[in-house]
Amino acid sequence: MIRVYDDIIVKTIARILTPFIQIFALYVIMHGHHSPGGGFQGGVILGASLILLFITHGLKETKKKITEKGIAVLSSLGVLIYSGIGLLCIILLGNYLDYGKLSKLLHVVPAEARSLGILGIEIGVGITVMAVMVSIFLNISTGGTLLEDEEDNTR
Amino acid sequence: MDGFFLSIGVGLCILVFLALYRVVFGPGIFNRVAAVSAIGNKTLIMLLIMGVIYKRIEMFIDISLVYALLNFICTLAISKYLEMEGDK
Repeated sequence: MIRVYDDIIVKTIARILTPFIQIFALYVIMHGHHSPGGGFQGGVILGASLILLFITHGLKETKKKITEKGIAVLSSLGVLIYSGIGLLCIILLGNYLDYGKLSKLLHVVPAEARSLGILGIEIGVGITVMAVMVSIFLNISTGGTLLEDEEDNTR
Repeated sequence: MDGFFLSIGVGLCILVFLALYRVVFGPGIFNRVAAVSAIGNKTLIMLLIMGVIYKRIEMFIDISLVYALLNFICTLAISKYLEMEGDK
């Protein structure tokens, strides 16, 4: 289990660096169609910023802000956004993920509706990847035991 | 100008192998961690040189930023793991 150590340099650098990492991750998600990146890569960078917090500030301290339940909800929410946009296109008499049909709903030309639809998909993918990365990290670092059981068998 | 950058890139490739020797045979774990970090830095510079040669530097800067970030987190994670091992 990862514990807190009184290392002020590492903790301060992680605390200052985290917002910049997250802004860069959002940039990678939003600019996925102009530069390398996209939903998956941006989600991995977001997850890396949270993992950095877990590593430097210890599991117990960070668990107050990022709970296991919240991560589970986020990982489902991303899939819900993805499939929701896909099903919305079916409801609007198109194929699955046929973004052009969203133009009736958004009151824009079909080309712009495609761009916005792809952006929505990327955001959903990013949220899911971020949550699953953090979940994998937590499961590995606690040795497979759930976080709730951690208080009982202190190792 | 491309020849200049190309020669720098080839030189960095040779230096990567010198650092790789330290990773494989280096005495102690701290030499290995430092050598892995050095290899990461050299790879970062090589990515930027590649961007200059391909004339798409604005694309490769994004990649190298992510690379530097993950390298930093990787070094921190290895250090944390070593700290844990000494605890038992």
